[in-house]
Amino acid sequence: MAKFNKYVKIGPATASAAGAEAGMLKVVQKHPNVMVVLEDGGMPALDWFKTNAPNQIIECGIAEANGAVIAGALASEGFIPFLHASTFAVVERAYNQIRQSILIDRFNVKILGRDGVWGVLGASHCIVEGIGITRVLPNLLIINAADVVEMEKAFIAMADYIGPVYFRLEDTSPAPLRIFTEDYPFEIGKAYQIKDGKDATIIATGLMVSEAIKAIDILEKDGIDVGILNMSTIKPLDEEAVIRVAEQTRAIVTAENGTIIGGLGESVATVIAEEAPAVLIRVGVEDEFSQSARIPTDDKDDLKIHFGLGAEDIALSVRECIAKRDKLKIFRK
Amino acid sequence: MAHSPKVIHELEDKSNVVIRNILRIFEASRMGHAGGTMSLVEIVTALYFHHLHLDLSNCDWDGRDRVVLSKAHCAEAIYAVLPELGFVPKEMLDKYYSFGSQFQGHADRWCCPGIDYSGGSLGQGLSFAAGLAMSEKTKTALNPPNLHVTSTNMPKFIMQYNPAYRVFCIVGDGELAEGQNWEAAMFAAKYKLDNLINIVDYNKFCLERPTEQVMPLGPLDEKFRAFGWWVKEIDGHNLTELVDTLDLANNLYGDGKPKCIIAHTVKGHGIPLWEKLHLHYGRAEAVTQGLKEGKEIYG
Repeated sequence: MAKFNKYVKIGPATASAAGAEAGMLKVVQKHPNVMVVLEDGGMPALDWFKTNAPNQIIECGIAEANGAVIAGALASEGFIPFLHASTFAVVERAYNQIRQSILIDRFNVKILGRDGVWGVLGASHCIVEGIGITRVLPNLLIINAADVVEMEKAFIAMADYIGPVYFRLEDTSPAPLRIFTEDYPFEIGKAYQIKDGKDATIIATGLMVSEAIKAIDILEKDGIDVGILNMSTIKPLDEEAVIRVAEQTRAIVTAENGTIIGGLGESVATVIAEEAPAVLIRVGVEDEFSQSARIPTDDKDDLKIHFGLGAEDIALSVRECIAKRDKLKIFRK
Repeated sequence: MAHSPKVIHELEDKSNVVIRNILRIFEASRMGHAGGTMSLVEIVTALYFHHLHLDLSNCDWDGRDRVVLSKAHCAEAIYAVLPELGFVPKEMLDKYYSFGSQFQGHADRWCCPGIDYSGGSLGQGLSFAAGLAMSEKTKTALNPPNLHVTSTNMPKFIMQYNPAYRVFCIVGDGELAEGQNWEAAMFAAKYKLDNLINIVDYNKFCLERPTEQVMPLGPLDEKFRAFGWWVKEIDGHNLTELVDTLDLANNLYGDGKPKCIIAHTVKGHGIPLWEKLHLHYGRAEAVTQGLKEGKEIYG
């Protein structure tokens, strides 16, 4: 049985949407100037708003460009607007609006985007490029929580932070494991070392942290001791943590629910290349759009197999990474 | 209703000051969006020197009327006004386009006092203005003035001080081809934003060609009316019509309709060469020649 660090107690798979719901209910108690900007869709704790604060709901309809700019204007007047939709709509249909009317002025808008390759709706709705397209935008913070506990804590931290945030929701994906204890201290911009390991480190984000945890068990059977770094803030990246694990093991595998072009893997690669050389293998989607697949079950997950996003795939990449490192003279101890 | 000739005469003097400041801006920068700026002169004069509620000692006053210049490439027109209000030093007129200047190439709220909206990407201003108008309505709904409020849980900064304000948006005719304007038009009508006044600077020209060729807009008045707006068409260079119409729109507050003033203007108005060229973005030669003409006319 793998030995995890403090604040980690692995439990059964639990949908993380409950964390966003609980987070929002706490946020509105603390920040009563929250405004819910709808684009003909849902919002965490929407029922609470309908009953208790109908004046704080603004429905923009299927007009995301307008919705994003309305949110920017509300923020300029002291409100904290939340936008929520599939990333293709809330971000991509309003990409320039977000840039021009939210980010340039650093307006305090929270963008919740349903992101990631999983889903029944096909290429249009199942997003592979969510991290890459948001990571290049100045002034935008990007958060991607790993489980239901972190989801709630990150949600609250996002609302406390003053400035624009892209909050990645992977709620069309299979439910992640319960990973953290209730007293887990989430902090924006800080990666958390879930497990130490001397042979290699998996840097994972969001749903893929669960797969990394499952991969640990597979590798442990062969006596390979692998660490896990939970990168829940994609931007700004916790570069110190990346440097630390790169220097420790010189073998890094990144794992993300999306394309490896522009994503977490590339973000980590730049730090490694500039600051702490190590062998890197990126697990994620390889330059391809997603497609429909029925809701995954324990023994059948077509998209996970198709894209190679499972624990076995991560484990394979870890072995390959260690082998590559051991072949390179510069990394020999 | 009608304004005395003295008031109009004073405004005409002000508009000449605005033009002289615009010429000074171009004199230093040697380029800029001359045509679309000149078509705005009387509109900004009527707004800033007659109609807007502003606190000249505090450009960030919560109760100020907001101005969203959607056609932010013509920020020169507002830059020409700001020193007259005392919001920025007059020397800034010589620093347009300069690195580190408050007068950025497109109006920038982050950099310049007295600017409410950072624009440049066209077609978004009306949405932003609708969002500002919606904010005012929401604050008032959550904190009705002089009423005992039990249900609101708004924070103190909104509870304690919530002066009403109006929102003025200035859009160009060319940017009305952007579909987002019509999303905003629907939104403003849905939420009965009668505190929103949109002024169309209808100068009939886009970047390279007449708007009519690029993307015909007509009948523009009927379009806004069909979207549920109150509409009036005026001569956008006639200060009497401008101030009367702004007052009229203001007096209609409470009718639940957003207001659209279609101001028919001339690109490059007031400088014969620029009028002739329909100058959208003047480079050194055309600007210099136009400046020569302008100096003769406006001193």
